[in-house]
Amino acid sequence: MMEILTQPLMYGFMQRGMLASVMVGILCAVVGCYVVLRGMAYLGDAMSHAILPGVAVAYILKGEILIGALIAAIVVALGIGFFTRRGTIKEDTAIGILFAATLSLGVALISTIKTYALDLTHILFGNVLGVSDTDLILIAVLGAVVLLTIVLLYKELLVVSFDPVLAATLRLPVERLKNVLLILIALAVVVSMQTVGVGLVAAMLVTPAATAYLLTRRLPAMMVVSAALGALASIIGLYLSFYLNIVSGAAVVLTATIFFFIAYLFAPQRGLIWNVLGRRNAVASAPAE
Amino acid sequence: MFRLTMRWGAVVLVIGFLVSACAPSEEPIKNAASPIRVIAIESFLADIAQNVAGERIQIETLMPIGMDPHSFEPTPQDVRKIASSDGLIVNGAGFELFLNRLLENAGGNYQLIEASKGLTSRAVKSNEPHDEENSNDPHFWMDPTNAMQYAKNIRDGLTRIDPAGAAIYKANADAYIVKLNALDQRIRQQVIAIPKADRKLVTDHDTLGYFADRYGFETVGMIVPSFSSVDSTPAKGLAELIDAIKATKTKAVFVEANANPQLADQIAQETGARVFTGLYTHSLSEPNGPAPTYIQMLEYDTQKIVEALK
Amino acid sequence: MLYSNSPAHLEIRNLSVSYNNGARRALENISFSVPQGMRVAVVGPNGAGKSTLFKALVGLVPIERGEIFIHDAALGAHKESERLRVAYVPQRKEVDWRFPVSVNDVVMMGRYGALGWFKRPTKRDREAVQRALVEMNISNLANYPIGELSGGQQQRVFLARALAQEPHILLMDEPFTGVDATTQEATLELLNQLKAQGVTLIVSTHDLNLAAARFDRVLLLNHSVIAYGAPAQVFTTENLIRAFGTHAMFVEGTMIVDDCCAGDAPHTLGESPALELIER
Repeated sequence: MMEILTQPLMYGFMQRGMLASVMVGILCAVVGCYVVLRGMAYLGDAMSHAILPGVAVAYILKGEILIGALIAAIVVALGIGFFTRRGTIKEDTAIGILFAATLSLGVALISTIKTYALDLTHILFGNVLGVSDTDLILIAVLGAVVLLTIVLLYKELLVVSFDPVLAATLRLPVERLKNVLLILIALAVVVSMQTVGVGLVAAMLVTPAATAYLLTRRLPAMMVVSAALGALASIIGLYLSFYLNIVSGAAVVLTATIFFFIAYLFAPQRGLIWNVLGRRNAVASAPAE
Repeated sequence: MFRLTMRWGAVVLVIGFLVSACAPSEEPIKNAASPIRVIAIESFLADIAQNVAGERIQIETLMPIGMDPHSFEPTPQDVRKIASSDGLIVNGAGFELFLNRLLENAGGNYQLIEASKGLTSRAVKSNEPHDEENSNDPHFWMDPTNAMQYAKNIRDGLTRIDPAGAAIYKANADAYIVKLNALDQRIRQQVIAIPKADRKLVTDHDTLGYFADRYGFETVGMIVPSFSSVDSTPAKGLAELIDAIKATKTKAVFVEANANPQLADQIAQETGARVFTGLYTHSLSEPNGPAPTYIQMLEYDTQKIVEALK
Repeated sequence: MLYSNSPAHLEIRNLSVSYNNGARRALENISFSVPQGMRVAVVGPNGAGKSTLFKALVGLVPIERGEIFIHDAALGAHKESERLRVAYVPQRKEVDWRFPVSVNDVVMMGRYGALGWFKRPTKRDREAVQRALVEMNISNLANYPIGELSGGQQQRVFLARALAQEPHILLMDEPFTGVDATTQEATLELLNQLKAQGVTLIVSTHDLNLAAARFDRVLLLNHSVIAYGAPAQVFTTENLIRAFGTHAMFVEGTMIVDDCCAGDAPHTLGESPALELIER
């Protein structure tokens, strides 16, 4: 039994892959709580494609690909913030427009660079099994910065997400805080994508947080449970990937999805089964007026 | 209660995150007594290598047959195979660029055998896509004389891994090179059947460059104007290609096995050229298919091209 | 008296607000002034600009022209140290009630403005929250997720949050819409207490009877100020027709204002059609 658990960890690439996906799992899961609560589920997907022009420009200028991706992601984040200022355009609409625009810009830029070596999509969308020590340090540092910011700005981000009107009357810089949040999401997406692949990021940003939402009733608990689910899905997913010989990113995402289905069925209060069977009890224990 | 959850939540998050970042790393211990394991990334490389290795080593293939290398995503078992192997045969010249990160970080201590080592890229013509730095065309194997160099590189690589087999590898490589010579002659002879004016190739992406150079074909253009199969086609490029096909009266458009012939059909409709699908260039066919070995792959492609153009 | 040394005198001069870069004028040249501790009801048809006025007062919508003075200083010109406490109780539909926060969390948010960056709530803040919960009679719900509350309870959470802000000026957008009688009475009771504490109250409502009976002044609004003053002065036939137009009619000496479907501001779900009666 122990051997089943230890055998994959005999390999350096599995250890690094495990660490990378656990860190990314935690990072995305925590940031994802805001993504889920603010109803921006496809922001992660959008952002991971939106960085394409940044990558292309970085390639043309022979700069660091990651820096290009980061700049592009932040520009897109601020762009979403700009267009949704004072509710001119809805957030999902702004995301949709910028997503399509940047993706197209990226494809257009890449089509001007005609060379075999420019297999950008593969450079861009990493594989968790190809994670290097440098990558690990990068994820750790940027991830810690993002998580620390979320902890330090906890109450400001909470009030801006829950009730921006109140935030404004409290004289909090609402637009700037919204931008900070978007930038945090952008950082999480870029850091994660470089190492674990685009499909994994989009799913890890939404699925564990959505699962945690079903299981908890307060934001701090939601974040912790989401992080735990993200980490657990990463670990179980990588073991499954090792033993069932399937692609790692997909295995992690599917594991997280199974967690979600279980929670959707069995969660207290919000789960399907609880709702079907427990309605009568619920009425009995409802808060008194 | 309120503060407790918050504080602990924050602490657990950040510490858990950092601890997971600092965990130690160990390389796997390799069993010295196991038989020699050599892996080739592409199926045609494995076939060439098997001819050199003979009965002495069983060469394994990493990529499944029929897979476009650009959409290949390795599983942990694939990486483990690499990490625990003694030798890894790659085409090189940037062909497996997308695997670089994986190979760098796979661990293990295998010999890397670059099959195309020592070959210089053909001159990419000015009307073909290129930029100053990365104008290499890595599809060397589409010319059997280049495959001879592959065989020699593989021979040297296997000898490094297994010096005791040196004589066997040399004899096998020499014998295989003779076969490749014969293949080269056969292709030349078959191509003669095509009128000189009709020796024009349009392919879905630029994989036949070495074949064309070797056997006197003109590459009129390709549908995806890049050596990689993942780029998409700008409208202008497509229009230019259609014009070029009309101007040169090219008869046929060739599409690789497993590729989507949609654009090729479009071009065919515009130009009157016929579409021929099913060329094997990046992968062999299944053992019972038309191109189960490298030599059969080139023979099959030649036969297709000759039939289409003569 | 909590704020005896900081009288919240509110004065609005020639205020105009537009949406869509001037395409639609929401408020036109509004001027009125509210002495400290006054209870003002803002009434007018749907889409008259009541919510816009409140949002302008808390700086949520940009002011096109005019000025807002609080404590004789222009809005936004106040120093951080003398941070103004203008609390705003929005309509209930304006927040996501499925958000994973407890009643306690929401009320605590009222304290966030005065807390400062990176700071955690102190004992003083928790006590203020506790007082507000007790005041609104919802301390037993403190740890409930807000999603499990009834409409009236949600309203009281908002009110408790406003109380926790220790406001000088309290703005309430339709607090009597879609709530039960108990909550309505609790809200009115709260208004009395706050008035006694010197808090200035500005409340929008559809209920003209309530405005007449329970408020010191009435602001009759339809994009511009139709009338402002004591209820008896404001609620004249002429003024009401000017404000509500064809929606006002007279049935046997009683004025009926049918405000159900006018304007473009949709009613809250579950709201009863506003058929308001007022003695002539």
